[in-house]
Amino acid sequence: MKNKPYLILIFIFLITIMMDVSVFAHKVNIFTYVEGDKVYTESYFNDGKKCIDSKIEVFDNQGNILLEGLTDEEGMFSFEIPSEDVIDGDLKVVLTASMGHRAEYIIRADELRDVAELIEEKLEEPVTVLSPEVSSFDLKEIRSLIEDALDEKLKPIMGEMREIKKSQEDRISPTEIIGGIGYIIGIFGIIAYFLSRKR
Amino acid sequence: MHISEGILSAPVLITGAALTAAVVGYSLKKMEYKEVPKVAILSSVFFVASLIHVPVGPSSVHLILNGIIGVLLGWSAFPAILVALVLQGVLFQFGGITTLGVNTFNMALPAIICFYLLNRGVRSENNFIALMLAFVCGFLAVLLSGIMVAAALVFTREPFMQVAKLVLIAHLPVMILEGVLTVFCIGFLRKVRPEILNV
Repeated sequence: MKNKPYLILIFIFLITIMMDVSVFAHKVNIFTYVEGDKVYTESYFNDGKKCIDSKIEVFDNQGNILLEGLTDEEGMFSFEIPSEDVIDGDLKVVLTASMGHRAEYIIRADELRDVAELIEEKLEEPVTVLSPEVSSFDLKEIRSLIEDALDEKLKPIMGEMREIKKSQEDRISPTEIIGGIGYIIGIFGIIAYFLSRKR
Repeated sequence: MHISEGILSAPVLITGAALTAAVVGYSLKKMEYKEVPKVAILSSVFFVASLIHVPVGPSSVHLILNGIIGVLLGWSAFPAILVALVLQGVLFQFGGITTLGVNTFNMALPAIICFYLLNRGVRSENNFIALMLAFVCGFLAVLLSGIMVAAALVFTREPFMQVAKLVLIAHLPVMILEGVLTVFCIGFLRKVRPEILNV
């Protein structure tokens, strides 16, 4: 084939690239979790770099903007969950990073509701249903002790789950790359067929 | 510098789509049956090249290779880049679907500009001149793409000087790297198969 060395050059180039298994598309991601009465967000590019000073906007499910802010040097931005009168369903968190990158994350209503209930209970008046011996303050204390203990225990587990979720997202496998190249060859094959019929 | 969904305004998207459709139509008519394998291979190169990241400060950028693609393909760079972008969008959610027109135009127009400016130069007898111009080709293509991306963002919303500076500075390493890559490619082709360059 006349063009052989040229083809070899290009294919060596392609194969060298594919050897690097951990390739990521050039996207930006935002990861959100609810802890206590706050929502924490982490924004990062697919290759791991954090998004610094990037704009975060939070919308309710009608599309009204509830609040906005900027990520810090760790790519994090947190906010308190707006009270129940304001939110009425899912929240949408939108990250806009530099040079045209954008990502969204939808926090489902039930994630928020559990926390909202906890907050409401903390604000309630002490209940005097129990006998006078067990004062309601003790009960409140026990409850908050349990919550704190659970938070402590669950923190590392939540951290692990976050890591797993992060690493599963958007990694591009060599399979997809080869598939993509196959499609490209196929599309141009069809174009070549039509061009050959015309001539 | 693939622009994601949801960033650009509708007029910008529509203009980009219309321009790209027109040019792709023209270049498909002009395309010759014999050059289709070359177009397909360079489309694959473009497809894979965007996965190579160059970390730059707070964000990261990726290779584009539109310089070498422009010099080797001429007008066929448009369909080559369009097909690669379609597959990147569909398979990796990289870039957007509504932004296909704008992204193609931003990356393919510098390719054809570099073709017209430098094609005869890289075919010149003098090896040194040819390689110098090869560097210019790689460098200039990325530079022009950066300017066009900044323009697209500006026509949507953001203040021009700030965005333009950010995009261009972030892509400076890419410009230099691509200049060097183009030098190697052109050098190799000149030695081994000079007739490739006489398209």
